[in-house]
Amino acid sequence: MSTGVIYPAQPEQILKGLSKLWTSLGEEEKEHGKPTVLRACAMTLIVATDSEGGCFYEAQTISELMREHPSRGVVVTVCPDAEHGLEARVLAQCWKPFGKAQQICCEQIEITSKPDEWPNVAWTLTGLTAADLPVIFWCRHKAALSPSATEDERAGLQAIVNLASKVVFDSQDLEAGEAVKLISGWQAQGTVVGDLAWTRLTPWREPIANIFDNPARPNPFSNFDSVEIAYTDDKPSASALYAAGWLSAPHKAKVEFKKVEGHGPGIHRITLRSKSETIDFERTTRENMTLRSTNGRQREYTYPDHNLTTLMTEELAIIGPDPAFNAAFARAQELL
Amino acid sequence: MSVVVQAVPEVNPLQDPLRFARRVPPCAIVIFGASGDLAKRKLLPALYRLFYERRIPPNFAIIGSSRTAMSDDQFRERMKESVSKFLEDAPFDEDVWSSFAQCLFYVPGDLNNPAAYEDLKRKLDQVEKSHQTAGNVLFYLSTQPSHYAEVILELGAHNLHKGNGWRRVIIEKPFGHDLQSARKLNDEIHKVFDESEVYRIDHYLGKETVQNILAFRFGNSMFEPLWNRRYVNHVQITAAESIGVEGRGGYYQEAGALRDMIQNHLSQVMATVAMEPPAVFDAGSVRDERAKLLRAVRVMKPEEVPEYAVAGQYGPAKAGGQDIPGFRQEPSVNPNAQTDTYAAVTFFIDNWRWAGVPFYIRTGKRMPKRVTDIAIQFSSPPLGLFTQETKAGPREVKPNLLVLRIQPEEGISLRFLSKSPGSGMRVRPVSMDFNYGSSFGERTPTAYETLLVDAMAGDPTLYTRQDMVDASWQIVQPILDVWAETTFDFPNYPAFTWGPKESDEMLARQGHRWRIP
Repeated sequence: MSTGVIYPAQPEQILKGLSKLWTSLGEEEKEHGKPTVLRACAMTLIVATDSEGGCFYEAQTISELMREHPSRGVVVTVCPDAEHGLEARVLAQCWKPFGKAQQICCEQIEITSKPDEWPNVAWTLTGLTAADLPVIFWCRHKAALSPSATEDERAGLQAIVNLASKVVFDSQDLEAGEAVKLISGWQAQGTVVGDLAWTRLTPWREPIANIFDNPARPNPFSNFDSVEIAYTDDKPSASALYAAGWLSAPHKAKVEFKKVEGHGPGIHRITLRSKSETIDFERTTRENMTLRSTNGRQREYTYPDHNLTTLMTEELAIIGPDPAFNAAFARAQELL
Repeated sequence: MSVVVQAVPEVNPLQDPLRFARRVPPCAIVIFGASGDLAKRKLLPALYRLFYERRIPPNFAIIGSSRTAMSDDQFRERMKESVSKFLEDAPFDEDVWSSFAQCLFYVPGDLNNPAAYEDLKRKLDQVEKSHQTAGNVLFYLSTQPSHYAEVILELGAHNLHKGNGWRRVIIEKPFGHDLQSARKLNDEIHKVFDESEVYRIDHYLGKETVQNILAFRFGNSMFEPLWNRRYVNHVQITAAESIGVEGRGGYYQEAGALRDMIQNHLSQVMATVAMEPPAVFDAGSVRDERAKLLRAVRVMKPEEVPEYAVAGQYGPAKAGGQDIPGFRQEPSVNPNAQTDTYAAVTFFIDNWRWAGVPFYIRTGKRMPKRVTDIAIQFSSPPLGLFTQETKAGPREVKPNLLVLRIQPEEGISLRFLSKSPGSGMRVRPVSMDFNYGSSFGERTPTAYETLLVDAMAGDPTLYTRQDMVDASWQIVQPILDVWAETTFDFPNYPAFTWGPKESDEMLARQGHRWRIP
């Protein structure tokens, strides 16, 4: 269910559109004689994109995310072909949980902006955030994140960051140094930051961490004094840097980066060395990873399909500070 | 003087509880009573769901055991039927089932036949190798309670309580039939297993909404200052079922509502609502506080029982054009049964926080609807500024009411007064509502999923400890003793009503009345 185009895209007009939407859903309820719709919202999730293909992909991802993280979703598309400077439409994303009679509905607002209106988008967004709930900003505006961003692009981005309690972005397309610069700037202003390059490391990190769970392990983690990260890109990416930071932060282990041919992009192998044992965790094929130790243990893992919905689902589950990332990031800055 | 310094095990600095799944070690689960209702309706669907969500490791195995003669394949086929039928809020996936079924095994045998335990031992050795279960074994006693001690002693006699890995045992309620038998059962269990290896399951404690009581109380600062005798007038805990005994007449006739619900589930819920904040959130501290609370509940003298406890039994009724049988007309039930299908009790907690505040607990079968909730009724304001004058005299202004809804519409609501629109200062109660579904994702794990993972991971926080069971028996034992000596004029409430009038009178004596949930 959705409204027509709302122009000008002023917060008051958009909120009126939402109100109308709920009124019509409420009328449907009256017809059924019992509550059939549950309005759900635990956060405001703003996503901004400058993708040439429009916001289809982001809108679809948001609607998938809502099932696990009910939110007021706001999708901002920056598009030179937009009819008006800034226009909006509102819709309800509804689904019926398996085996339940009641539908759950979340609000979604789609805003289209011409590039020259981008610096003003935050003004509209300020009036649209759900009161007293976290505001998560997922930035997919590549031009605004790039080091060659214009003043206006930077200003528009910063204005939305100022609204957010957490900013999520993906440093995959940036150089590691640029990503570190962006994050340290946002962290300095007290914003919680999530980088999907770090989220992609979870399937690498979890099996490695589990090796050291046994307190009786003869060779504890503190004995491993050397870390090697083998990567397939031209330079070590932010992912490689974070992995090194994570593994070397606790005991300041020695770190080496090594360029290899292999399955990429990103990390191909992580190696931990102690005097008596070497542990390798390697992508053996596009789909598989193998964890092996010189003590004879070996285990296979499936390399996961990192789609945006799974990555964002993990990121949205952490609204506050992320101590593991912060520690890894602090060490990564030292390694840079 | 020499000082011996013990090596402190290294804490794993790489763990990341915010992102990594809770780690469950490899293990074999042995279910005694595997062809019974609990295994079919709850345990196997929960284990399948955990497997589906990859919350249990790939190297695990389930060994079912019961008297019915079956092969591994026949057991798998039967369990497939049950899981596809009883899986809650989730679709059944054939492919996942195929992998899951490879972890299912069966050992037939009588619980009192030593040969069955030797067979079990062989099967455990086999799966330890084939499924790399690391010698860890979780025994689940889903048998008739009368077999608990026997099974545990046999496990000890066949050295199954020890092995290469850890051994734990989950015991279903009821833990004994009364205080004496509960203590005897504990003694028998401890002949074989250490208390740290015993997991007494009370599935109410595994419910998300019951766990949320702790988060609500101790994660927010605004309610806890009011959570005491100065502001709380009384507390009502209701667990109503609309169904009857559903073929369990034989069992239920011996148990009754007080034993079946109040001694275990509802006394644990009361303890969760009323306990003091633990110093830290770990198993020992949380269970210490629950146990402390239960020990503070006033134990009734026999002469006080008629004033503070009410037994009821439903009679026949007509509902929806159908004749609904009374309890005594149910199959396998003695036509003169004195069983309580309804029980209501007033408890007082003799500590500084709760002295003088009645905790009313009621539970019953064939009530108007299925609902479990906890209502905290706050005291009225000291000055009735908005008392409504009517021709019939001053109208009562409803005090604040906080309702923690356990099931079916999980959530929390707060009733408070608000001015009605229009001229004049007329007030009426309104409700502020939090619904789980509106803030969290699609599906919450069932209580059995939560509790099984906890037991495999070695976390007993949501399991009851020996001293908690002992304390909860102590508070109901005087009531059971008096009721055993009483001949009730049953039935005393028609099916699909809120219980006998004596229950209303019990509250009226304290100046209160039951709310309609």
